[in-house]
Amino acid sequence: MLDIPREASSSFDDIVQERETRVLRAAYRILGNWADAEDVAQEVFLRLHRHGVSFPNDAALGAWLYRVTVNLCLDRNRSVRPSCEMPELPSMDRSAETSAIREQEKRRLMAALAMLPPRERVAVVLREIEGLSTGEVATAMGSAEATVRSQVAKGIARLRGILNREER
Amino acid sequence: MTEDRIRELLREMRDEPVPADSTARVRLAIEARSRSRIAGFRRHWKLWAGILALACAALIAITMREPVGIAPPAVEATQTQIPAEVSAAVSPPPAARRVVHRAPRAAPPRSAAEVIRIETDDPDIVIVLVGG
Repeated sequence: MLDIPREASSSFDDIVQERETRVLRAAYRILGNWADAEDVAQEVFLRLHRHGVSFPNDAALGAWLYRVTVNLCLDRNRSVRPSCEMPELPSMDRSAETSAIREQEKRRLMAALAMLPPRERVAVVLREIEGLSTGEVATAMGSAEATVRSQVAKGIARLRGILNREER
Repeated sequence: MTEDRIRELLREMRDEPVPADSTARVRLAIEARSRSRIAGFRRHWKLWAGILALACAALIAITMREPVGIAPPAVEATQTQIPAEVSAAVSPPPAARRVVHRAPRAAPPRSAAEVIRIETDDPDIVIVLVGG
């Protein structure tokens, strides 16, 4: 999201076209379903429309979009209280081919990701999936960099625990 | 599953495609909602412009109706200063009004007796009272 040239993002429509996929994907990774992710993406761009597209540079625009996305996702997580039940992870099929196993692993990982506490999940998604730097994640979440590092480390450890528990 | 393996799988997710219908739905919704927002703004803009125009028209009408120049309190003051003999000199005698009654169909001529001319202390201000 941060490497798009400034000239290319001059109008609102251009920004929507260029950044919609990333906003939508980040929201999906945080929320775990496409319907909610679509709602959040719409709201993010409508807020951008109200706010105006005058940002000093692309990094500022990207940071703004991620910050609004994260806030809306966290708000949604707060309003829809997550179930205390552990979602059932897809079972492992050891006879499947390597690529199929990989896809299955990813599905299990996504399911495990949904079990993380919201802020840990956001930190892992932005840092590990979206590939933002720790500083950018800290800006998006309104936290200190040390907090983000801690949340990412805890999140990964928790994911490993969930996945290994399911494998046994 | 190791942490490195988890990180590797998470990185692979970065480039996974987003469903095309999802993207299209979002884009259409953004377009529709931003348009309705602009239309709403335009509607309100017209409403406020209309209200402002009406207020201006009302203000102009009120300003035009008010007399400019002669202050009413001055008139009151000068009326009290009219000497009785001046008033008696310009007012018509009751007998003269009866004599003028000759042509019933013609419009009654406006006689000098019906006009009261009042000189004030200020030579530029003369108050003329016209009787009906």
